[in-house]
Amino acid sequence: MELIDKLEILADAAKYDASCASSGAPKRSSEGKDGIGATNGMGICHSYTPDGRCVSLLKILLTNFCIYDCQYCVNRRTSNVPRARFTVEEVVKLTVDFYLRNYIDGLFLSSGIIQSADYTMEQLVAIARELREVHQFRGYIHLKTIPDADPALIDAAGRYADRLSVNIELPTQDSVQRLAPEKNVHTIKLAMGNIRLKLDEKEAEPKAPKFAPAGQSTQMIVGADASDDQRILTTAETLYGSYKLKRVYYSAFSPIPQSPKSVPLAPPPMLREHRLYQADFLLRGYGFQVNELLPQSGNLALDIDPKLAWALANREHFPMDLNRAEPAMITRIPGIGLRNAKRIVELRRMRQVRYADLARLKCSMKKIAPFIVTADYRPPRDTTPSEALRRSMADVQQQMPLWPELQAA
Amino acid sequence: MSIDGEPGDADDTAAPVDAVALALAGHPIPVATFGDFRTAARDLIVRRVPPESVQWSGSETPHGDLLSAATSGLAPSLPPGLLAQPPAPPPRIPRSLMEMLQSAACYRAPDRWAFLYKIVWRWQQGQQEILSMADEDGARLQHMVKAVRHEEHDMHAYLRFRERPPEAGDPRFVAWFEPAHDVLPQVAQHFARRMGKTSWMIGTPEATVLWDGHTLHSTGPLMRSAADVEDSGEALWLTYYRSIFNPARLNADIMHGHIRTRFWKNLPEAAVVPHMVSQAAAGARKVGQLDTVGKRGGTTIPIAAEKAAPERQQPSSLDDCRRCDLWQNATQAVAGQGARHAKIMLLGEQPGDQEDLAGKPFVGPAGALLDKAMIDAGMDRRKVYITNAVKHFKWEPRGKRRLHKTPAQKEVMACHYWLETELETIAPDIVVALGSTALKSILQSGSVTMKDYMGQPFQHDGRWVVVTYHPSYALRVPSAEARHEAVAAIVAALKLAQRLADGEQP
Repeated sequence: MELIDKLEILADAAKYDASCASSGAPKRSSEGKDGIGATNGMGICHSYTPDGRCVSLLKILLTNFCIYDCQYCVNRRTSNVPRARFTVEEVVKLTVDFYLRNYIDGLFLSSGIIQSADYTMEQLVAIARELREVHQFRGYIHLKTIPDADPALIDAAGRYADRLSVNIELPTQDSVQRLAPEKNVHTIKLAMGNIRLKLDEKEAEPKAPKFAPAGQSTQMIVGADASDDQRILTTAETLYGSYKLKRVYYSAFSPIPQSPKSVPLAPPPMLREHRLYQADFLLRGYGFQVNELLPQSGNLALDIDPKLAWALANREHFPMDLNRAEPAMITRIPGIGLRNAKRIVELRRMRQVRYADLARLKCSMKKIAPFIVTADYRPPRDTTPSEALRRSMADVQQQMPLWPELQAA
Repeated sequence: MSIDGEPGDADDTAAPVDAVALALAGHPIPVATFGDFRTAARDLIVRRVPPESVQWSGSETPHGDLLSAATSGLAPSLPPGLLAQPPAPPPRIPRSLMEMLQSAACYRAPDRWAFLYKIVWRWQQGQQEILSMADEDGARLQHMVKAVRHEEHDMHAYLRFRERPPEAGDPRFVAWFEPAHDVLPQVAQHFARRMGKTSWMIGTPEATVLWDGHTLHSTGPLMRSAADVEDSGEALWLTYYRSIFNPARLNADIMHGHIRTRFWKNLPEAAVVPHMVSQAAAGARKVGQLDTVGKRGGTTIPIAAEKAAPERQQPSSLDDCRRCDLWQNATQAVAGQGARHAKIMLLGEQPGDQEDLAGKPFVGPAGALLDKAMIDAGMDRRKVYITNAVKHFKWEPRGKRRLHKTPAQKEVMACHYWLETELETIAPDIVVALGSTALKSILQSGSVTMKDYMGQPFQHDGRWVVVTYHPSYALRVPSAEARHEAVAAIVAALKLAQRLADGEQP
C-alpha cells in the first residue's frame, strides 16, 4: 500500500480524538543547530477543517488494526473497515516533511492495540525516540499511552514526549465495562496515577531526566452512554484533582459506520459538547465547583452558557458593584472573562469604573447589564425575575417542539 | 527602561536628524524604523514639544502625504517661549509600554508615528490611563498592538513552504505571504528557530527574507506572487487535511471565523474545501468516515474475545470492595503492609493523596514523619504492620487539588470488615491507634474521644491498644511548640508499644 493510502486511512481513523493542542512544551529552538523544530510554549493552529476543528499536529494512528472491541470505536476488531499500518520510518518521515512545510507543530500519535499493550507501546516509543534522537526533532510530541503497558515503557515515553494522555473513555466504570470490555477503569486510573507520580518526582527534583513537560490529558466520549453532564463533570473534577491533568477533552460521540446496537444511532447535540467545554473552563480557571454549576443531576442548559445559568440561579450576588466587588467575584459575572476582570481591577485603582468603560473593554453589554452596578449605572430591572431575564438572553430563541413525542422517537 | 537610545544602537544607523529643529521649521520628521522614532521622540520630549506641533513622515510616505502637503506651508503652532524653558528630564517608559510601542510601530497606518508620539507625550504628562483600554488613545494603542500580534500569529500559522527539488540548490524551501502589517522581521526570526540549518526564503509584496542556514538576509521584493514551485509533497498534506475532517460535524462557520478570508488564496488546502463542504452537506452525512475510506474493502480482526483481553493481575477482593462509595473517586484501595506476624500494628486513618497513587500506606509527608518517629523510638518498620482504618482515600476538590476529608463513621464501619481480616491474619499483640478515626474503628464506636485514652494503654479484644496522635496532626498544628509535643507523644507511644511487645507491663 502506498504511503498516501495509509495516510488516508490512518488519519481518518484518528479524527475521533478531540485533542490537538500543542501548548505547554518548554521553549526549544533549532537556530544554528542540527535537526529541526521549535516550541515557544504557546502552540499554533496551522489550519482549520470544515468541521471547525484546528489542525495543529499530525494526528494519526500507527495502525488501526485493533484486537479490542470498544463499541464506540470505528477501529474495533469486529468493525469492517480498511486497515493499514505505518512503519516507524514512515511516521517519522511524514512528521519531518509536514513540519518543514509549516503544516504542523508536531506529532500526536495514537494506535490500535496490536499483539499486546506492551508491544504497541514499544512501537509508539520507538517513533518518538527516532524523531528525537536520530532526527533531533524539537517540535511537539504527544503520545497516547496504552494503560496496560509496563510502567517502564510509560517512563520511556515521558522522556521523549511533551505530553502523555490516557483516555478515560467514558464517565462511569459501568459504561466502560459495557462498551469497552477489554479496558478497565482501574488500570486506566493506575496509569494516570503513575504518570502523576513521575511528574511529581520530576518537579521535586529539577535535575532528573525530563518527563512529559506539557503534562497529561485525557478524553471522555459524550453521548455514547446515558451519563448526564453532572456525572461527566464530576468525573472530570475527580481526574483533575487526582492526576493533575492539564485538560480533559470531551468528544461528542460521532456515529460510526455499521454502528453496533449498543451505542446510540444519533450523535448528541454538538452544543452539549460546547457547554461542557465552557463548564470545564469555569472549573479550571474560575474556581467554580461542579456542585455550583449543576447542583442536581442533569445536563447543562443548552440555551444559555453555564456562567449565565449560575448567575441567574444565584441572583442574591447581583447586581454586583464593580467598584467594590472582590476580584474573584467579578470573574463570576456573565460576560466578564478573566482578562477583563483583571482590567477592571486595574482601572479602578486609577479611577471609578463607569458604564461606558465596559463597552470599550468589549464586554457583551447585553449580557452584563442586568448584573452590574458602576459609578453611573444601576440596572433598571434588577428585580426582574430570572426566568424573564433568561428568556431575553438565551442564545437561540428556540421554537417549542410541536410534537415532542414524535421528535423524541 | 529609558527611551534614551544608546549612541550606536543597532537600529539607530540612519543619519542623525535634529527632530526639534525640523519641528520648529514646520517640516515633517522622517522616520524609517522604530529606532529613528525613539531618538526623535526623546529629543522632542526633552524640549517639551507638544504632539500637535509635530509632523511625521513614515517610511511608506517619504515625502509629503496629503496631510503634510496641506500643512507644510504653515508654521506649526509651537507654544510661545518653548525653547526658553529648561529641558525636561528624558522620559522613563516602562518596559511593557515600550514593547507595546514597538509592536504598534509595525501597524500600517499613515499617522502611526504621530500617534505613538502622542502616547509618549501623554505618558510623560503623567496620564497613566493610556495603559487602559477604557482610554480612547489607550484603546487604539491596544488595538494596534493586538492587530500586529494577530498578524504575526497568522503568518506563523498560515505561511506554507514549498520544497524545491534538491538539484535546484538553496533555498530549499520557498514561501509567499501577504501580511497586512510590517511583521516580516519578527516572523523571520520565528522560522529561523524552527527550521534549523535548512535554507528557506519568504517573499512578501514589500520585502524578502532569506535564511541560508546560518544568517538572515533581507532585501526588497523579489517575488510577485505565490511561489512558482511544484511540490509533490503537497498531495500528502491535502490527503491528510481531507482525512482528518469529520463530515458528521460539518461546521464551516467556525473555520471561516478562524482563518481570515485574505489568507485563503495562498493556502493550498483552500482549494479542496468547497468540495469537502458540499460533499458533507449534500450527503447529510451520518457517519464521520471519509467517503473514499468507506468505499475501500474492510477487514474485521479474527480474534476471540477471551484472547483479546489483556493479562492483568486479578484485582484483589479489596480492590473490588463496594461496601461504601469511596472507591468511586479513589485510584485504588490501599491495603496494609508489613511483617506477616508482626507483634505491633500501627493503625492510621486513611490513605492520603500520595498513598492513593502509590498504593502503599504512609508514604507521603505523614509517612515521613512516622518513619522518623519510629527511628527515634527504636522501632524497625520492617518488623511492624502498618495499615489504615479506611482503605480508600476520601477527599473533596479544591481547585486542582485533593483536600483530605475525614471519613464518616459509616465509612469507618463499612471498612471495619477489612481491618478485622487483617487483625485475624496478622494477630498483633499491640495496636497503636494513630488518631481519633483509628481509635473509633478499633472500638467500633463513633462517640469515643482521644483524650480519654491518651497515654494509658488498655486491653481490648485480648490485645493492648495504645492511643496517640496521627502524624498529620503533628504536621498540621500551627505552633512549633505544639508540634514538638505531638511528635514527642507519638514517639513515647511507639516506645510504649515496643516495651509492651517485649513483654513488659505498662
